[in-house]
Amino acid sequence: MSDSMQDPVISRVRETLRSESATRPDPVAVARTLQTVWAAPRPVWWRRALDAWRMPALSGLATSAVAAAALLVGFVTRGAVQTRDALDPVAAAGPATEEFPVQFASYEGEETARIATQFVFEHATAQSVSVVGDFNAWEADALPLTRLPNGLWTVTVPLPPGRHVYAYVIDGTLVVADPRAPKAGDADYGREGSVVMVFAR
Amino acid sequence: MSDTPPNTSIDPTLPLRAKAGDRQAFAQLVDLMYPRALRFALHMVGNREDAEEAVQDTFVRVYHNLGRFRDDARFEPWLFRILANRCRTALGKRNRHTQLIQYGELPDRVGAQSDPERDWTEEVYKVLETLPAEQKEAFLLRHVEDMAYEDIAAVTGVGLSALRMRVKRACDVLRVRLTEMMQDE
Repeated sequence: MSDSMQDPVISRVRETLRSESATRPDPVAVARTLQTVWAAPRPVWWRRALDAWRMPALSGLATSAVAAAALLVGFVTRGAVQTRDALDPVAAAGPATEEFPVQFASYEGEETARIATQFVFEHATAQSVSVVGDFNAWEADALPLTRLPNGLWTVTVPLPPGRHVYAYVIDGTLVVADPRAPKAGDADYGREGSVVMVFAR
Repeated sequence: MSDTPPNTSIDPTLPLRAKAGDRQAFAQLVDLMYPRALRFALHMVGNREDAEEAVQDTFVRVYHNLGRFRDDARFEPWLFRILANRCRTALGKRNRHTQLIQYGELPDRVGAQSDPERDWTEEVYKVLETLPAEQKEAFLLRHVEDMAYEDIAAVTGVGLSALRMRVKRACDVLRVRLTEMMQDE
Protein backbone atom coordinates (compact mmCIF):
# COMPACT_ATOMS: atom_id res chain seq x y z
CA MET A 1 0.00 0.00 0.00
CA SER A 2 1.23 3.49 -0.77
CA ASP A 3 1.98 5.78 2.16
CA SER A 4 -0.39 8.27 0.50
CA MET A 5 -3.28 6.29 1.93
CA GLN A 6 -2.58 7.82 5.33
CA ASP A 7 -3.15 11.35 4.11
CA PRO A 8 -6.76 12.04 3.06
CA VAL A 9 -5.85 14.81 0.59
CA ILE A 10 -3.06 12.89 -1.10
CA SER A 11 -5.18 9.75 -1.04
CA ARG A 12 -7.97 11.52 -2.90
CA VAL A 13 -5.53 13.09 -5.35
CA ARG A 14 -4.18 9.64 -6.02
CA GLU A 15 -7.66 8.26 -6.69
CA THR A 16 -8.42 11.17 -9.02
CA LEU A 17 -5.23 10.70 -11.00
CA ARG A 18 -5.72 6.94 -11.21
CA SER A 19 -9.28 7.24 -12.48
CA GLU A 20 -9.55 5.30 -15.69
CA SER A 21 -12.38 7.50 -16.93
CA ALA A 22 -9.86 10.31 -17.43
CA THR A 23 -7.03 8.29 -18.92
CA ARG A 24 -8.72 5.43 -20.78
CA PRO A 25 -6.64 4.40 -23.79
CA ASP A 26 -8.05 4.79 -27.25
CA PRO A 27 -8.09 1.29 -28.83
CA VAL A 28 -7.15 2.81 -32.17
CA ALA A 29 -4.07 4.42 -30.61
CA VAL A 30 -3.04 1.09 -29.12
CA ALA A 31 -3.42 -0.63 -32.49
CA ARG A 32 -1.52 2.20 -34.18
CA THR A 33 1.30 1.81 -31.68
CA LEU A 34 1.70 -1.87 -32.54
CA GLN A 35 1.58 -1.11 -36.24
CA THR A 36 4.27 1.53 -35.79
CA VAL A 37 6.43 -0.86 -33.80
CA TRP A 38 6.26 -3.53 -36.50
CA ALA A 39 6.83 -1.02 -39.27
CA ALA A 40 9.56 1.10 -37.67
CA PRO A 41 13.01 0.51 -39.18
CA ARG A 42 15.66 -0.68 -36.80
CA PRO A 43 17.78 2.32 -35.78
CA VAL A 44 21.32 2.66 -37.03
CA TRP A 45 24.14 1.33 -34.87
CA TRP A 46 25.09 4.63 -33.29
CA ARG A 47 21.48 5.28 -32.33
CA ARG A 48 21.21 1.86 -30.71
CA ALA A 49 24.46 2.49 -28.86
CA LEU A 50 23.13 5.81 -27.59
CA ASP A 51 19.88 4.22 -26.48
CA ALA A 52 21.79 1.46 -24.73
CA TRP A 53 23.81 4.03 -22.87
CA ARG A 54 20.66 5.86 -21.80
CA MET A 55 18.66 2.75 -20.96
CA PRO A 56 20.78 0.28 -19.02
CA ALA A 57 18.96 -2.89 -18.07
CA LEU A 58 17.89 -2.77 -14.46
CA SER A 59 18.69 -5.34 -11.89
CA GLY A 60 15.87 -7.31 -10.34
CA LEU A 61 14.65 -10.71 -9.31
CA ALA A 62 14.70 -13.63 -11.70
CA THR A 63 11.44 -15.44 -11.37
CA SER A 64 11.07 -18.95 -10.04
CA ALA A 65 7.66 -19.34 -11.67
CA VAL A 66 8.76 -18.99 -15.28
CA ALA A 67 7.59 -22.39 -16.40
CA ALA A 68 4.19 -22.18 -14.73
CA ALA A 69 3.56 -18.65 -15.94
CA ALA A 70 4.58 -19.54 -19.49
CA LEU A 71 2.07 -22.38 -19.43
CA LEU A 72 -0.58 -20.01 -18.16
CA VAL A 73 0.16 -17.41 -20.83
CA GLY A 74 0.08 -20.08 -23.50
CA PHE A 75 -3.28 -21.25 -22.20
CA VAL A 76 -4.76 -17.77 -22.09
CA THR A 77 -3.51 -16.68 -25.50
CA ARG A 78 -4.65 -19.68 -27.41
CA GLY A 79 -7.85 -18.92 -29.22
CA ALA A 80 -10.15 -19.50 -32.07
CA VAL A 81 -8.89 -16.45 -33.91
CA GLN A 82 -5.92 -17.16 -36.10
CA THR A 83 -4.27 -15.69 -39.10
CA ARG A 84 -4.75 -17.72 -42.20
CA ASP A 85 -1.28 -19.19 -42.03
CA ALA A 86 -2.07 -20.78 -38.73
CA LEU A 87 -5.34 -22.41 -39.72
CA ASP A 88 -6.12 -25.99 -40.25
CA PRO A 89 -4.31 -26.89 -43.49
CA VAL A 90 -7.57 -27.86 -45.14
CA ALA A 91 -9.11 -24.51 -44.39
CA ALA A 92 -6.03 -22.44 -45.10
CA ALA A 93 -5.00 -24.15 -48.32
CA GLY A 94 -7.46 -22.30 -50.51
CA PRO A 95 -10.32 -24.30 -52.01
CA ALA A 96 -13.21 -24.42 -49.65
CA THR A 97 -14.19 -27.78 -48.30
CA GLU A 98 -17.55 -28.86 -47.06
CA GLU A 99 -16.13 -29.45 -43.58
CA PHE A 100 -14.39 -26.16 -43.08
CA PRO A 101 -14.67 -23.69 -45.93
CA VAL A 102 -12.94 -20.35 -45.83
CA GLN A 103 -15.55 -17.63 -46.21
CA PHE A 104 -13.96 -14.37 -47.25
CA ALA A 105 -15.88 -11.25 -46.37
CA SER A 106 -15.69 -8.15 -48.50
CA TYR A 107 -14.21 -5.28 -46.60
CA GLU A 108 -14.05 -1.67 -47.62
CA GLY A 109 -11.43 0.48 -46.03
CA GLU A 110 -8.16 2.17 -46.71
CA GLU A 111 -5.81 0.14 -48.85
CA THR A 112 -3.04 -1.19 -46.68
CA ALA A 113 -1.48 -4.60 -46.54
CA ARG A 114 -4.12 -6.77 -44.95
CA ILE A 115 -3.85 -10.21 -43.47
CA ALA A 116 -6.63 -12.76 -43.89
CA THR A 117 -7.86 -13.42 -40.36
CA GLN A 118 -10.39 -16.10 -39.63
CA PHE A 119 -13.00 -15.81 -36.93
CA VAL A 120 -14.58 -19.03 -35.71
CA PHE A 121 -17.43 -19.16 -33.23
CA GLU A 122 -19.38 -22.08 -31.90
CA HIS A 123 -23.10 -21.70 -31.27
CA ALA A 124 -25.50 -24.52 -32.00
CA THR A 125 -28.83 -22.68 -31.81
CA ALA A 126 -28.11 -19.20 -33.16
CA GLN A 127 -30.01 -18.09 -36.25
CA SER A 128 -27.35 -15.56 -37.17
CA VAL A 129 -23.89 -14.57 -35.95
CA SER A 130 -21.84 -11.58 -36.99
CA VAL A 131 -18.52 -10.18 -35.88
CA VAL A 132 -18.21 -6.56 -34.81
CA GLY A 133 -15.10 -4.66 -33.89
CA ASP A 134 -12.98 -1.59 -34.29
CA PHE A 135 -12.33 -2.70 -37.88
CA ASN A 136 -15.98 -2.31 -38.95
CA ALA A 137 -17.13 0.47 -36.62
CA TRP A 138 -19.03 -2.12 -34.56
CA GLU A 139 -21.66 -2.46 -37.27
CA ALA A 140 -23.72 -5.52 -36.43
CA ASP A 141 -24.69 -6.24 -40.04
CA ALA A 142 -21.32 -5.65 -41.70
CA LEU A 143 -19.63 -9.03 -41.29
CA PRO A 144 -22.01 -12.00 -40.96
CA LEU A 145 -20.55 -15.42 -40.28
CA THR A 146 -21.47 -18.48 -42.30
CA ARG A 147 -22.85 -21.51 -40.53
CA LEU A 148 -21.08 -24.79 -41.18
CA PRO A 149 -22.65 -28.25 -40.93
CA ASN A 150 -20.57 -28.99 -37.85
CA GLY A 151 -22.18 -26.18 -35.84
CA LEU A 152 -19.36 -23.70 -36.20
CA TRP A 153 -19.77 -20.21 -37.61
CA THR A 154 -16.91 -18.69 -39.56
CA VAL A 155 -15.82 -15.73 -41.61
CA THR A 156 -12.41 -14.62 -42.82
CA VAL A 157 -11.73 -10.91 -42.83
CA PRO A 158 -8.73 -9.10 -44.30
CA LEU A 159 -7.43 -6.95 -41.43
CA PRO A 160 -4.55 -4.50 -41.19
CA PRO A 161 -1.74 -5.60 -38.89
CA GLY A 162 -2.12 -4.53 -35.30
CA ARG A 163 -4.34 -5.06 -32.33
CA HIS A 164 -8.08 -5.31 -32.84
CA VAL A 165 -10.91 -5.50 -30.35
CA TYR A 166 -13.97 -7.47 -31.40
CA ALA A 167 -17.06 -9.34 -30.25
CA TYR A 168 -19.77 -11.53 -31.73
CA VAL A 169 -23.43 -10.55 -32.15
CA ILE A 170 -25.86 -13.45 -31.82
CA ASP A 171 -29.25 -13.11 -33.51
CA GLY A 172 -28.71 -9.41 -33.97
CA THR A 173 -29.02 -8.52 -30.31
CA LEU A 174 -26.75 -10.41 -27.92
CA VAL A 175 -23.15 -9.17 -27.88
CA VAL A 176 -20.63 -11.65 -26.46
CA ALA A 177 -16.86 -11.83 -26.28
CA ASP A 178 -14.98 -14.71 -27.84
CA PRO A 179 -14.72 -17.32 -25.07
CA ARG A 180 -11.45 -18.64 -26.49
CA ALA A 181 -9.58 -15.36 -26.94
CA PRO A 182 -7.97 -12.88 -24.52
CA LYS A 183 -10.38 -10.37 -23.05
CA ALA A 184 -9.98 -6.71 -23.94
CA GLY A 185 -9.37 -4.43 -21.01
CA ASP A 186 -10.63 -1.44 -22.94
CA ALA A 187 -13.85 -2.69 -24.48
CA ASP A 188 -15.68 0.01 -26.36
CA TYR A 189 -18.68 1.59 -24.71
CA GLY A 190 -18.40 -0.75 -21.75
CA ARG A 191 -19.16 -3.84 -23.83
CA GLU A 192 -17.22 -6.97 -23.29
CA GLY A 193 -14.75 -7.63 -26.07
CA SER A 194 -11.86 -9.83 -27.12
CA VAL A 195 -8.46 -9.07 -28.61
CA VAL A 196 -6.88 -10.40 -31.78
CA MET A 197 -3.35 -9.54 -32.79
CA VAL A 198 -2.73 -9.48 -36.53
CA PHE A 199 0.91 -9.63 -37.59
CA ALA A 200 2.35 -8.50 -40.88
CA ARG A 201 4.08 -11.18 -42.88
CA MET B 1 -13.18 3.94 -7.01
CA SER B 2 -14.48 1.17 -9.16
CA ASP B 3 -12.91 2.27 -12.42
CA THR B 4 -9.40 2.52 -11.06
CA PRO B 5 -7.14 0.12 -12.94
CA PRO B 6 -5.00 -2.05 -10.70
CA ASN B 7 -1.25 -1.54 -10.78
CA THR B 8 -0.54 -5.23 -11.22
CA SER B 9 2.87 -6.56 -12.07
CA ILE B 10 3.30 -8.24 -15.41
CA ASP B 11 4.22 -11.84 -15.97
CA PRO B 12 8.04 -11.77 -15.87
CA THR B 13 8.28 -14.30 -18.69
CA LEU B 14 6.59 -11.97 -21.17
CA PRO B 15 9.61 -9.65 -21.73
CA LEU B 16 11.85 -12.68 -22.07
CA ARG B 17 9.60 -14.25 -24.66
CA ALA B 18 9.39 -10.94 -26.50
CA LYS B 19 13.17 -10.69 -26.37
CA ALA B 20 13.36 -14.16 -27.90
CA GLY B 21 11.34 -12.90 -30.85
CA ASP B 22 7.81 -13.83 -29.78
CA ARG B 23 5.71 -11.06 -31.31
CA GLN B 24 2.57 -12.21 -29.56
CA ALA B 25 4.35 -11.77 -26.23
CA PHE B 26 5.39 -8.24 -27.15
CA ALA B 27 1.83 -7.45 -28.24
CA GLN B 28 0.66 -8.68 -24.86
CA LEU B 29 3.19 -6.42 -23.16
CA VAL B 30 1.81 -3.46 -25.07
CA ASP B 31 -1.72 -4.48 -24.22
CA LEU B 32 -0.92 -4.77 -20.52
CA MET B 33 1.33 -1.74 -20.08
CA TYR B 34 -0.28 0.75 -22.46
CA PRO B 35 -2.94 1.98 -19.98
CA ARG B 36 -0.41 2.69 -17.23
CA ALA B 37 2.07 4.20 -19.66
CA LEU B 38 -0.60 6.48 -21.11
CA ARG B 39 -1.80 7.50 -17.65
CA PHE B 40 1.70 8.51 -16.61
CA ALA B 41 2.41 10.30 -19.89
CA LEU B 42 -0.92 12.11 -19.84
CA HIS B 43 -0.30 13.45 -16.36
CA MET B 44 3.25 14.39 -17.25
CA VAL B 45 2.71 16.19 -20.54
CA GLY B 46 -0.90 17.29 -20.06
CA ASN B 47 -2.48 16.47 -23.42
CA ARG B 48 -3.47 13.26 -25.10
CA GLU B 49 -1.78 13.84 -28.46
CA ASP B 50 1.69 14.32 -26.98
CA ALA B 51 1.10 11.56 -24.43
CA GLU B 52 0.13 9.00 -27.08
CA GLU B 53 3.14 9.98 -29.15
CA ALA B 54 5.45 9.57 -26.16
CA VAL B 55 3.97 6.17 -25.37
CA GLN B 56 4.26 5.05 -28.98
CA ASP B 57 7.91 6.19 -29.16
CA THR B 58 8.55 4.34 -25.93
CA PHE B 59 7.26 1.02 -27.21
CA VAL B 60 9.20 1.39 -30.46
CA ARG B 61 12.40 1.96 -28.48
CA VAL B 62 11.60 -0.87 -26.11
CA TYR B 63 11.09 -3.22 -29.06
CA HIS B 64 14.35 -2.24 -30.71
CA ASN B 65 16.30 -2.55 -27.48
CA LEU B 66 14.83 -5.78 -26.15
CA GLY B 67 18.08 -7.51 -27.02
CA ARG B 68 19.80 -5.44 -24.35
CA PHE B 69 17.20 -6.18 -21.69
CA ARG B 70 18.83 -8.36 -19.04
CA ASP B 71 17.09 -11.61 -18.25
CA ASP B 72 17.17 -10.90 -14.52
CA ALA B 73 15.93 -7.32 -14.87
CA ARG B 74 12.43 -6.09 -14.15
CA PHE B 75 10.53 -4.78 -17.12
CA GLU B 76 8.35 -2.06 -15.60
CA PRO B 77 11.13 0.22 -14.29
CA TRP B 78 12.96 -0.22 -17.59
CA LEU B 79 9.90 0.79 -19.58
CA PHE B 80 9.14 3.74 -17.30
CA ARG B 81 12.72 4.94 -17.58
CA ILE B 82 12.34 5.14 -21.35
CA LEU B 83 8.87 6.64 -21.02
CA ALA B 84 10.03 9.29 -18.56
CA ASN B 85 12.74 10.30 -21.02
CA ARG B 86 10.18 10.59 -23.83
CA CYS B 87 7.91 12.68 -21.60
CA ARG B 88 10.75 15.03 -20.71
CA THR B 89 11.44 15.47 -24.41
CA ALA B 90 7.75 16.12 -25.09
CA LEU B 91 7.56 18.61 -22.22
CA GLY B 92 10.43 20.52 -23.72
CA LYS B 93 8.58 20.92 -27.00
CA ARG B 94 5.03 21.63 -26.09
CA ASN B 95 3.19 24.62 -24.67
CA ARG B 96 -0.38 23.96 -25.81
CA HIS B 97 -1.62 22.63 -22.48
CA THR B 98 -0.08 25.54 -20.63
CA GLN B 99 -2.13 27.87 -22.77
CA LEU B 100 -5.29 25.93 -21.99
CA ILE B 101 -4.65 26.20 -18.29
CA GLN B 102 -3.83 29.87 -18.50
CA TYR B 103 -7.12 30.56 -20.18
CA GLY B 104 -9.00 28.52 -17.63
CA GLU B 105 -10.26 25.84 -19.96
CA LEU B 106 -10.72 22.29 -18.81
CA PRO B 107 -8.26 19.79 -20.27
CA ASP B 108 -9.96 17.21 -22.43
CA ARG B 109 -8.92 14.43 -20.10
CA VAL B 110 -11.62 15.47 -17.62
CA GLY B 111 -14.78 13.52 -18.32
CA ALA B 112 -18.39 14.34 -17.59
CA GLN B 113 -18.87 14.39 -13.83
CA SER B 114 -20.98 16.12 -11.26
CA ASP B 115 -19.89 19.68 -10.60
CA PRO B 116 -18.09 19.25 -7.24
CA GLU B 117 -16.19 16.25 -8.55
CA ARG B 118 -15.42 18.07 -11.78
CA ASP B 119 -14.20 21.13 -9.88
CA TRP B 120 -12.02 18.94 -7.70
CA THR B 121 -10.55 17.11 -10.66
CA GLU B 122 -9.86 20.34 -12.50
CA GLU B 123 -8.15 21.80 -9.45
CA VAL B 124 -6.01 18.69 -9.01
CA TYR B 125 -4.82 18.99 -12.60
CA LYS B 126 -4.15 22.69 -12.20
CA VAL B 127 -2.07 22.19 -9.08
CA LEU B 128 -0.25 19.29 -10.73
CA GLU B 129 0.65 21.58 -13.63
CA THR B 130 2.25 24.05 -11.24
CA LEU B 131 4.67 21.47 -9.86
CA PRO B 132 8.21 21.43 -11.22
CA ALA B 133 8.54 18.55 -13.67
CA GLU B 134 10.95 16.59 -11.49
CA GLN B 135 8.60 16.81 -8.50
CA LYS B 136 5.58 15.86 -10.59
CA GLU B 137 7.46 12.91 -12.06
CA ALA B 138 8.53 11.62 -8.64
CA PHE B 139 5.06 12.13 -7.18
CA LEU B 140 3.31 10.29 -10.03
CA LEU B 141 5.71 7.36 -9.93
CA ARG B 142 5.41 7.05 -6.15
CA HIS B 143 1.76 7.79 -5.45
CA VAL B 144 -0.03 6.99 -8.72
CA GLU B 145 2.10 4.18 -10.11
CA ASP B 146 2.90 2.80 -6.65
CA MET B 147 6.59 2.35 -7.40
CA ALA B 148 9.13 1.71 -4.67
CA TYR B 149 11.70 4.44 -4.20
CA GLU B 150 14.41 2.06 -5.35
CA ASP B 151 12.57 1.60 -8.65
CA ILE B 152 11.98 5.34 -9.00
CA ALA B 153 15.70 5.85 -8.48
CA ALA B 154 16.33 3.44 -11.34
CA VAL B 155 13.80 5.26 -13.54
CA THR B 156 15.04 8.75 -12.85
CA GLY B 157 18.69 8.20 -12.02
CA VAL B 158 18.25 10.31 -8.89
CA GLY B 159 19.31 9.31 -5.37
CA LEU B 160 16.80 8.09 -2.78
CA SER B 161 17.04 11.02 -0.41
CA ALA B 162 16.58 13.53 -3.22
CA LEU B 163 13.59 11.57 -4.49
CA ARG B 164 11.96 11.50 -1.07
CA MET B 165 12.42 15.25 -0.84
CA ARG B 166 10.84 15.76 -4.27
CA VAL B 167 7.83 13.66 -3.34
CA LYS B 168 7.47 15.43 0.01
CA ARG B 169 7.56 18.84 -1.61
CA ALA B 170 4.97 17.81 -4.18
CA CYS B 171 2.72 16.46 -1.43
CA ASP B 172 3.14 19.66 0.57
CA VAL B 173 2.03 21.79 -2.37
CA LEU B 174 -0.95 19.56 -3.14
CA ARG B 175 -1.97 19.50 0.51
CA VAL B 176 -1.78 23.26 0.92
CA ARG B 177 -3.67 23.98 -2.31
CA LEU B 178 -6.34 21.31 -1.99
CA THR B 179 -7.10 20.88 1.71
CA GLU B 180 -9.39 23.88 1.86
CA MET B 181 -11.30 22.83 -1.22
CA MET B 182 -11.76 19.35 0.18
CA GLN B 183 -13.07 20.73 3.46
CA ASP B 184 -15.54 23.02 1.68
CA GLU B 185 -17.25 20.13 -0.11
